[in-house]
Amino acid sequence: MKDFDAIVIGAGNGGLSAAVALQRGGMQTLLLERHNIPGGCATSFVRGDYEFEVALHQLSGLGTEKQPAVLRHVFDSLGVTDKVTFIEEHHLYRYAVPGVIDITLPASVSGIVQTLSTEFPEEADAIQKFMDLCEVITLETYMALPNARRSGDPDVLKRNCRNFVKYGLKSTQDVMDEFFISPVLKAVLGGYWGYAGQPLDRLPFSDLGVMLYAYAAMKPWHIEGGSQALSNALLESFLEAGGDVRFNCGAEKILTEGGGVSAVRTEHGDVFTCNQVVSNASSVLTYNQLLDRPELAKNAREDFKSRRMGVSGFVLYMGLDCTPEDLGLEAATNFIATTIDDKQQYARSKGFEDPLGCLFTCYTVGDKTMAPQGKSVAALMCLQYGEPWDSIAPEEYAATKFAYAEKLIALAENVIPNFRQHIEEIEIGTPVTMMRYLNTPGGAIYGFDQTIAEHGAVRDRVRPVDGLHLAGSWTGMGGFQPTYQAGAAVAASILRKQNTKGNAA
Amino acid sequence: MTGMDIRSVIDGFDAARSRIEDMVQDGQDFADVPAKVAGRINALHPKRLNLVVSDVIVETATTRTLRLTSPDGGLPPFLAGQYVNLFVTVDGVNTSRPYAISSAPQDRGHYDLTVRKIGQGFVSPYLVDQIQPGAHLTSTGPMGSFYVNPIHHGRDLVFLAGGSGVAPAISMIRDIAARQLPVRFHLIYGSRRSDDVIFDAALRDLEDQHDFLTVTRVMSEPEAGYKDRTGFIDAALISDLCTPLDRKTVYLCGPPAMNTFCGAELRKTGMPDKRVHIEANGPPVAPQLREGWPDTTSVDQSVTVTVSGRGSFQTTAGEPLLNALERNGYEAENACRSGECSLCRVKVLSGEVFSPSEAKLRQSDRRFGWVHSCVAYPLSDIEILL
Repeated sequence: MKDFDAIVIGAGNGGLSAAVALQRGGMQTLLLERHNIPGGCATSFVRGDYEFEVALHQLSGLGTEKQPAVLRHVFDSLGVTDKVTFIEEHHLYRYAVPGVIDITLPASVSGIVQTLSTEFPEEADAIQKFMDLCEVITLETYMALPNARRSGDPDVLKRNCRNFVKYGLKSTQDVMDEFFISPVLKAVLGGYWGYAGQPLDRLPFSDLGVMLYAYAAMKPWHIEGGSQALSNALLESFLEAGGDVRFNCGAEKILTEGGGVSAVRTEHGDVFTCNQVVSNASSVLTYNQLLDRPELAKNAREDFKSRRMGVSGFVLYMGLDCTPEDLGLEAATNFIATTIDDKQQYARSKGFEDPLGCLFTCYTVGDKTMAPQGKSVAALMCLQYGEPWDSIAPEEYAATKFAYAEKLIALAENVIPNFRQHIEEIEIGTPVTMMRYLNTPGGAIYGFDQTIAEHGAVRDRVRPVDGLHLAGSWTGMGGFQPTYQAGAAVAASILRKQNTKGNAA
Repeated sequence: MTGMDIRSVIDGFDAARSRIEDMVQDGQDFADVPAKVAGRINALHPKRLNLVVSDVIVETATTRTLRLTSPDGGLPPFLAGQYVNLFVTVDGVNTSRPYAISSAPQDRGHYDLTVRKIGQGFVSPYLVDQIQPGAHLTSTGPMGSFYVNPIHHGRDLVFLAGGSGVAPAISMIRDIAARQLPVRFHLIYGSRRSDDVIFDAALRDLEDQHDFLTVTRVMSEPEAGYKDRTGFIDAALISDLCTPLDRKTVYLCGPPAMNTFCGAELRKTGMPDKRVHIEANGPPVAPQLREGWPDTTSVDQSVTVTVSGRGSFQTTAGEPLLNALERNGYEAENACRSGECSLCRVKVLSGEVFSPSEAKLRQSDRRFGWVHSCVAYPLSDIEILL
């Protein structure tokens, strides 16, 4: 008799949704979290009168109550839909490069087509066709492709996934070049590249196309109280179902017997036996450090060599003593840059030179509850790798952080003049901060670099240890929707196997 | 199935697979990465520091500076104004208290913690009267957001200090001096009598050496014949010394009563809250006087706290939950003990708990019954998840 049917390591999005699904599925589950709060990056913190969302910019894949999409169904099955309040955003994003363009896309496919066709009338047909392609590639990616792969028949794949076959693994840049003439139009439609952390020429088109369509058709959402509310709701659901949770209790080792999982030892020295472990820690940490016999994961480590450490972020969390209207903000999500060239913007993520592109998210546009009346909360972010911070000595860390924050503020003030004078509270998160709280190499926020070679349709699954499963951004796409779904999917596959075994016995 | 992978029909699949082969050639297995991550975080934000008291400096009759060094090598850097939470065992109770670091961030070999003995205190008498050089102590790493923030604090800084609240101020002054920052710094320091003034000589030296610094001492219970400023640090005094206030940033750190009083006086001067930074300083002295405390409950009312699956004990409504837990042998992670850092977060499974305004709770924590135990008061029998 084992202490638990399953142990989940880490209460991030993937860990929480896996834990809830396992416990609700009838497996007695222990959830271990080294921090004192559930959520991982899906968290918030309070300074003064403000509450700051740490990581969620826009939640995708939810759909409306009347037209629920995949993620809403996942949340229903996890018992959390009624525990949180979702707030619909009415704009996809504003894309602003001073002197070049300043345009706001509404949150609907037809609205995007209309807005862009007015701005780029000579490319109206192409815009419609492009958005149509985003729709079909989304359907193929989620429905037809998995079915076709299961069929094992290349002709089925060709016939049922025509668009994925042609465009899915092309670079977004190549597809944009095929459809459009105006580089400005391409840049506007490619605005979400930062959410995947790779520039358009390295980003598989299916990633960008699915993301754009998912936000446009299923709407971008905020959560009242931020993503922490959802993390708390998931934990509540887990406890209601009878799950056990330990905070301030990191997993130290995953113990094996005969090549399969047998127990988990915590940082406090407790050993809990189990047959199934879901690790929400990075694959790098799981196989290189947590596993008691790293040699078991030889093929996983070999596989690591074909991957590249993903990007992190530099974020300013700001409480502002003014309203979004005072700042001229209509949309919550504002991509701000001094060039439309995403490759140049991306290049700056590898050092400390002035950033060229950033994201200014003003949560108060949709959710008035995070700041006192008349005030706002905002996050100003640019992508940055952890690597340049490796060479910063500890005693230089603070000065480096403040100096780079100045550069980021100067960049955003090109479009939102003088918001600095409204700063009442500010906290700075660097890649080292992400590393500290997420325990990921390089502070990576989306797992490995999500290039074409990293795409799920290209990779084969590596699972070196019986009973050890990964849930999170290191074995699939990063971001909120993908990681919630990854956790639920891992749990579903464990439960399926468990039930088959149960029936056989 | 053998032979061709059906995915080869996807344009770009074969190219991506051969790209993977190429990447393996100059890739790495990240075997050394977990240790690197741990080392990096530990250098900046260690969870615990092992410390040795290298010296105990007598500051006043009631105040000592504990000079702490690390037997493990260097100490992590900190921002002037930040604190560490010091873990101690007093009368068999494992507890802790946060203390601001009074030494300069540039002095990397030690942290100075300046502790003033409070009459009815539980920990400060132990630290002041009993700690000797050579003693071993444990603390958190440096933390807190009470520091000079170059992004938005400007260049004209005023610090209102009371008692040992001067500790973060002198660290800031030493830091500004060492870095030759282009700021002005006016310390307005309230003490009861002139022999209560901590760092008196050091402040005089600093003021002599540096033009950026002005120090004004204010005595609330001056000895006979005291000639300088007396009374409290009130609106009139602040206006008199600091006008014009509109571009200044004010830091406030003193005993809880002073923080409340001076906060209100600063408002009277028209100083916007935005430019006032008050260092949290423990739980409220009289929670029953705070908004939201029910008239029907006395602070002495006996309540039972049940720690789910572990046991239960009696305490009173007026004792912060964290203190009660510690007195009864339970440990909860914590640092600021003032409601802010949220490390002592626990879930209330049943019963009623009062959270004063010090408790900087997240909205959803409130909704799902999480409290900051350092400033949580059980109004009824409660059960908690620890």
